[in-house]
Amino acid sequence: MVLLENDAFLTELTRLFQKCRTTGSVVITLKKYDGRTKPVPRKGHPETHEAADNKCLVRASDGKSKISTVVTSKEVIKFQMAYSNLLRAHMDGLKKKDKKSKGKKTKAT
Amino acid sequence: MPYYQTWEEFARAAEKLYLTDPMKVRVVLKYRHCDGNLCLKVTDDAVCLQYKTDQAQDVKKIEKLHGKLMRLMVSKESHSGAMETD
Repeated sequence: MVLLENDAFLTELTRLFQKCRTTGSVVITLKKYDGRTKPVPRKGHPETHEAADNKCLVRASDGKSKISTVVTSKEVIKFQMAYSNLLRAHMDGLKKKDKKSKGKKTKAT
Repeated sequence: MPYYQTWEEFARAAEKLYLTDPMKVRVVLKYRHCDGNLCLKVTDDAVCLQYKTDQAQDVKKIEKLHGKLMRLMVSKESHSGAMETD
């Protein structure tokens, strides 16, 4: 698992999408992240960890390599714009409106 | 768990599940170019919601919900006021 900066993550994600064009799938996972790197202490033990409540962990994998990044509330708008564009640009292998192309894959424009 | 048939139901259930315990929930987006399908899964390891599609018009909706959940995750408190789906 490689933890990357936001920009580097997007670059790597693009590469991942390109790699998986002919075979394989891209899996992206979102999870709320509070910065905790140790398990929750058991009963009686004091909680030393300060929960920062405003992060989001984004992981991506093609089944072989894994990449991840942490998005904070400061960067979320910027990251999300780039991320949305990236997703829309790469998820183009789906069917267009099923009127014309039933059961057949149409080429994306 | 079966796949949801309608997007609206799925989106509503997904957001509701997220809001019950934000720390537990993960959102998984799986895209397979060679088969041309896209699957969105929202789970807290007890309940698992899934939606699968091969329609290009669904990309926008899925990506939108994906982004909305990401914004919710980074926002300090999860308030249900901003959760209206269109």
